[in-house]
Amino acid sequence: MTPTLLGRWQTRILLMETVGLVITLLFGGGFLGNPEGSVYFWLLQYIIVFGLGWDYLYIQIQNFRWDQDWPAALQWLAAIWEAIFIVLLVEVLGIELPLIPASDWQLGWFIVHYGFVWVGVFIASQSLMRLMFPRWRFRGGQWL
Amino acid sequence: MSTIPGQVRLSWQDPVTGEQRTPLLTCPIAFGREFARMPAELNNQRVARIVLNSSQVSRYHTLIEWVQGHIRITDQNSSNGTWVNGVLQSSCNVSNGDLLKIGPYEITLMFTLDGTGLPTAEASEQSIIQVPEPDSPVPAEPVAAPANVLPPAFQAHQVVVQDLYATRLSVEEIDYLAVGAGLGSFIWVDFLRIFGAAPQQIRALGIEDRPYARYQRLCLNSQIPPHERLRSNSDSCPDNIWGWPGYALREAWQEFNKGKLNPALQYLWQVFAEPTFAQTYTPRAGNVFASIDREAIRIGWPQIYRFGRVRAIRQTNDGRYAIAYSPGRKQTAFVIARHVHLATGYPVLQFLPDLKAYREQTRDFKSVVNAYEDHNHVYETLERQGGTVVLRGRGIVASRIIQRIHEARHRNPNISILHLMRSPKPKGNRFRKAQRPVDNHFEFQPFNWPKACWGGTLREELEQATPDQRTNLLADWGGTTTADRQDWKVIVQQGLDQGWYQITFGEVTRVVPNTQSRPTTYIQEKGPRGEIKLEADFIIDATGLDSKVKASPLLNDLVTHYNLPLNPAGRLAVANDFELLEMRNQNGRMYGAGAITFGGPYAAVDSFLGLQYTALRAVDGLVTARAPNLRRLNGIGSFWQWLRWAQNQTP
Repeated sequence: MTPTLLGRWQTRILLMETVGLVITLLFGGGFLGNPEGSVYFWLLQYIIVFGLGWDYLYIQIQNFRWDQDWPAALQWLAAIWEAIFIVLLVEVLGIELPLIPASDWQLGWFIVHYGFVWVGVFIASQSLMRLMFPRWRFRGGQWL
Repeated sequence: MSTIPGQVRLSWQDPVTGEQRTPLLTCPIAFGREFARMPAELNNQRVARIVLNSSQVSRYHTLIEWVQGHIRITDQNSSNGTWVNGVLQSSCNVSNGDLLKIGPYEITLMFTLDGTGLPTAEASEQSIIQVPEPDSPVPAEPVAAPANVLPPAFQAHQVVVQDLYATRLSVEEIDYLAVGAGLGSFIWVDFLRIFGAAPQQIRALGIEDRPYARYQRLCLNSQIPPHERLRSNSDSCPDNIWGWPGYALREAWQEFNKGKLNPALQYLWQVFAEPTFAQTYTPRAGNVFASIDREAIRIGWPQIYRFGRVRAIRQTNDGRYAIAYSPGRKQTAFVIARHVHLATGYPVLQFLPDLKAYREQTRDFKSVVNAYEDHNHVYETLERQGGTVVLRGRGIVASRIIQRIHEARHRNPNISILHLMRSPKPKGNRFRKAQRPVDNHFEFQPFNWPKACWGGTLREELEQATPDQRTNLLADWGGTTTADRQDWKVIVQQGLDQGWYQITFGEVTRVVPNTQSRPTTYIQEKGPRGEIKLEADFIIDATGLDSKVKASPLLNDLVTHYNLPLNPAGRLAVANDFELLEMRNQNGRMYGAGAITFGGPYAAVDSFLGLQYTALRAVDGLVTARAPNLRRLNGIGSFWQWLRWAQNQTP
């Protein structure tokens, strides 16, 4: 992957709001035996909004790389960091994010939900995106 | 030839094109990025002003003067400094053979204080040889020829279509014509077919029926047999416009089906972690060619391809293009096409001037060879009787040759390599915050350009840049590199430790036969040692391919006839979608691709993925121009076409 900033943003929003949303709706309906509710939907939106900021940081790091690339391994490290960041906010700093009442937050289910969403998004970005958008890989992840 | 005091022979390799530059100049000599910023005169003496394109070079960077019997270098408060023999200098006297480094430019200075005995060798633009071709019933034309073999109708600015029919020669009318029929043509045709064009609307003219024939021959000559790996990415698939599944996934699947889990997992790990945590995956040559064979049958390439040596291309008076070609010896035929795509590849091999001179003087074509020529006799002789090889160039081909000789040493340990490099390489190129890694004077990069040149930030930046800025960027990203392959690094380190592989630095002054008719290389070393000589059984030139359009009779005729602009690198000037705008003819469009367009909006034009990018831009341009039967491919339609690819059904 050799993403541009715009490409990172566009791909993040598209895949999170399609693949990620479908997985989130399954969680919202409690299909995995989890407590149902809107909290998963709002968590997904937080992941996206924080992610737009993280993407800016990643592009800065990318500038230090001679190839200006972003291997899949770094995508995974970044994804793990983004999850840790939310856990830090809620669990360590005790911040109650708007629309995410403390009573609905469960660390275990957050990890499961986040894991499913991220793996789904990653697989789609490695396959389906290329097949549906033949220009995507040449435009640093811009599909629009 | 005697020279006057204060004359300096400069010698450097252009980081953009790889060409050797060796001007003989009289001091004062100024270096900088902008011609106008350098002084025209100093102390009533005219200044020789040398423009070096790179963002690492200041507008006026360095001055060389003749001061009281010495040659003196003075940095002009440049941002990145002037380095002499690896030491940062603000002002110093230099000696013969010293190495001046300004940004990515490494310039050797050769002079004598009394002005006598200066090496006179000058790289000529003609220091090239033809790319090896198969035995063909229709020979290539010399550069000057086309005009006299062409029908009179082709003298006109625009050909009148009826005039061609009046010749009673064969005339075919078609929608899409690909000139070259190599990989560039094949990939463009692949896009056309998938975007909706039928095989009978398309024609490809060339001299070999398999689109990869020439590429494969160059691979074999440069010692890449089918089981060896190309310098190409997993998802650079000439057989698949989507790049998925890539070659790594396919090879992993093959291995998995053979019950070999370890290599399968290794390939997947490589594409996951490359290049930071794993060695970059590269596909086997044989697998790539087999995949192209499959796609060629799927899209009807045998129906599209025609044998023919293209002689000339003209606009017609009805908004199309007329192409004259030879389908056989002393035969001429015409194709009239609405849209034309030029992908004729590298016309010539670059050959080091001193080596070319050696071959011309001695008529010995066996001891001094170019790596892209068939030179298997070198390894066969070495394996039989041992010997010494002088290797020139430090790119990927040189690495592969070292590996091949390392293999030969298993059969005969009396083989040694003298690797001759122009200058040491303590540090890699810099570009803003990033620097390219170096080991044992080899500069490493997974592919021939930084990865983001194909589809990332660097691609975008180059496309948006002005022609001058583009030259700067290409110089910063360019230069000779090789792949960071663990096996190659081990071989080089072993060779250095065991002494059968040695690196020598210096500027070659001449190559002449010794008394036993073995090629002897004289090199200028810096410092007091002066000239040293290297005797060898063979010299292999691994410095590369050249793609100046003037070297191709066909392109030279086109450029001359229509007065087409060339870009700063001397290649065809193209728009961002690779159209030759000056050749537009009403609705007719002409596009270029591959090495002949290098120096324009895209760096990696001569790669599989680069050809796919170029073809995509060109075919998108044709869709916008409402070319027959094409529709824009995206979304569900694209996915549908991929399903057809996956099931090996016609598009």
